[in-house]
Amino acid sequence: MPFLNNITVKGVRTFRLLLLFYLLGWPALLLAEEEMFSFDLDEIEKNPLVWGGYAEFSWEHMDINQDSVFNHLNFSAKSLSDFDRLRGTGQLFGRYDASKLNLNWLLQASGQQDDLGWTDTTDIFALYGTYTSSPTLSTIIGKKSYKWGKGYAWNPVGFINRPKDPNNPNESLEGFVVAEVDYIKTFGTNLQSLALTTVVLPVVEHVNEDFGSTYRANFAAKLYLLYRDTDIDLLFLAGDSRANRVGLDFSRNIATNFEIHAEFAYIPHQHKLVLEENDSISNRTQQATSLLLGLRYLSNSDVTTIVEYYHNGGGYSTAEMNRFYELIREGALNQPLPLDSLLDKGRELALKGYGRPQSGRNYIYAKITKKEPFAILYLTPGITSIVNIDDHSYSFTPELVYTRITNLEMRLRLALFNGGVSTEYGEKAFSNKAEFRVRYFF
Amino acid sequence: MMPSSHTCILNKTTLIPCLLLLFFVLLPGQALALDGNDILRQVDANMQPQSYEMYRKLINIEPDGKKKEFVLYSLKKGQDKMIALFLSPASEKGRSTLRLGDNMWLYIPNVGKPLRITSLQSVVGGIFNNSDILRLDYSTEYEAKDIIDEGDHYVLDLTARTPSVAYARLKMEVDKKTLLPTNIDCLAISGMLIKTLHYSKIKDFGDGMIRPAMLETSSPLQKGYRSVMLFAKVKKRDLADEVFSLNYLSKVDELR
Repeated sequence: MPFLNNITVKGVRTFRLLLLFYLLGWPALLLAEEEMFSFDLDEIEKNPLVWGGYAEFSWEHMDINQDSVFNHLNFSAKSLSDFDRLRGTGQLFGRYDASKLNLNWLLQASGQQDDLGWTDTTDIFALYGTYTSSPTLSTIIGKKSYKWGKGYAWNPVGFINRPKDPNNPNESLEGFVVAEVDYIKTFGTNLQSLALTTVVLPVVEHVNEDFGSTYRANFAAKLYLLYRDTDIDLLFLAGDSRANRVGLDFSRNIATNFEIHAEFAYIPHQHKLVLEENDSISNRTQQATSLLLGLRYLSNSDVTTIVEYYHNGGGYSTAEMNRFYELIREGALNQPLPLDSLLDKGRELALKGYGRPQSGRNYIYAKITKKEPFAILYLTPGITSIVNIDDHSYSFTPELVYTRITNLEMRLRLALFNGGVSTEYGEKAFSNKAEFRVRYFF
Repeated sequence: MMPSSHTCILNKTTLIPCLLLLFFVLLPGQALALDGNDILRQVDANMQPQSYEMYRKLINIEPDGKKKEFVLYSLKKGQDKMIALFLSPASEKGRSTLRLGDNMWLYIPNVGKPLRITSLQSVVGGIFNNSDILRLDYSTEYEAKDIIDEGDHYVLDLTARTPSVAYARLKMEVDKKTLLPTNIDCLAISGMLIKTLHYSKIKDFGDGMIRPAMLETSSPLQKGYRSVMLFAKVKKRDLADEVFSLNYLSKVDELR
């Protein structure tokens, strides 16, 4: 039976091949699996010097809102319809441990080329030494940044924080030169833990000058309590560089996927630069109460929603903002030539308050992100919106963040600013901004 | 006085049945005494000391074989305190997570302050979520409602003690000889299978601790994806309670 013999011969060959594959291949597969999941202990070797950072490249394209107040202020001499910017940034952090002492640093350098030319900066964001005498007590001296408060977009109780950009709240910010003592104590009662952070912030020539009046000492403190699963902070700032203020914040999970937070700040005598009806500038002293209410919700489908309401008690009313917009418009549209005196006054006012982000009174912030939609790992699309409740203008910012490649983050973002004449987002210098950013961590 | 040969014969003949009787009477008695919660506590004791430090590597594997790895340094104290610090990759370096009972926080150096997170989220992507990374003792989070003897292993039916735990129920297979977990099905309150955990590679970590060095997980909700956790340098360590506090999160690396 040659046919059957043929099959038998083929079968034997196949069996031999399978046996050979089994004998040779199986250990190789096992080895491959073993190598696939190796944990080299060198990876976890402790080194007294720890360092890292990122290098970033970004491209931005903005369409200029030509009739807007801030276009008249910033680009009055140019006749630009759009604006492109290329930027490179490098950030370097590090720490050197020597027993109970350590030295920390955070440096940033950036350079940008845009339609106005080339600019570059180099900053020491942080440089401080820490002495940790015990897990309970530590002392810090040097330049350090603070992020007090529970809010994502705004922090009315961030008395010694640098103001953050609500569209990029997670970015590093420059610190202040301080001396700090931190005390931690835990308890086995309803009061689970307590931490007291006390900070001395001096303002002298060339040191912390942008904090406020010079040759003054300022004292700030934050008492943190974890009481019945609720984070509570009591805060105050006293000194001569800025008006004294007190604050309170809290954060709590009311369900595993639902967090609520709030901040409250009170400034009895806040100084505010105001443009009066007769176009003079006055320095008013007023009571200011600011409030932030927020929530964070994670749905079953991995959608995270953050919503915050912010009442900025020290902000400008719609009428005050209108006067500022009118002043600029009057200066810019004057015939036959713009009135530089009015524009200069406008620039000064913009710098000292009117031009700061969210300088109005009432805002809503909302951010919705969906993690890994359609099972695409490491992709996070999101939408952020900030609404000025008083003048109904808003920003709307969709974005995509992709982190598939280890240590490489890519972000594509489009910001749209919308609002009528004499509204915050209607008077921005740009009507929209497209941004592509690549950040490589090392 | 010498015992009589009769007595000796009686002793011999009664001894074996008596021992057998004792064996059959006491063995079920022991099994009854060693109920599900006792076994669970023993599993916890075998898996880790009460206060310890350890290193872990998390590997997310995609259907096409691509991998993403994270290395963490962790500290745990008592029933409800745990910290995990990311050592790599560079994009995550310095991030730390703290768990105190049902409360969880994430500290990101750039953000500069701890944010509350939930057990269902995942700070690393992939199939492991925060509760897997900051897992407390099984007996702290779960109560054994039923135990089935299946020859060489027990199957424990575990129910979450509080609603804040990530999985409402666990079906845990425990090896009888070693009293170590082998397979765990993580179930939603509806009974739907969320993920399966498989412990393997039993290793001697020293100090009498012999436990699995690898944990693999897969999920029917993320077909084709796998995640693996490797354990190294698990050892006892005495730690102050203050280490497990928000203000200490930025300093955890100094404890290594």
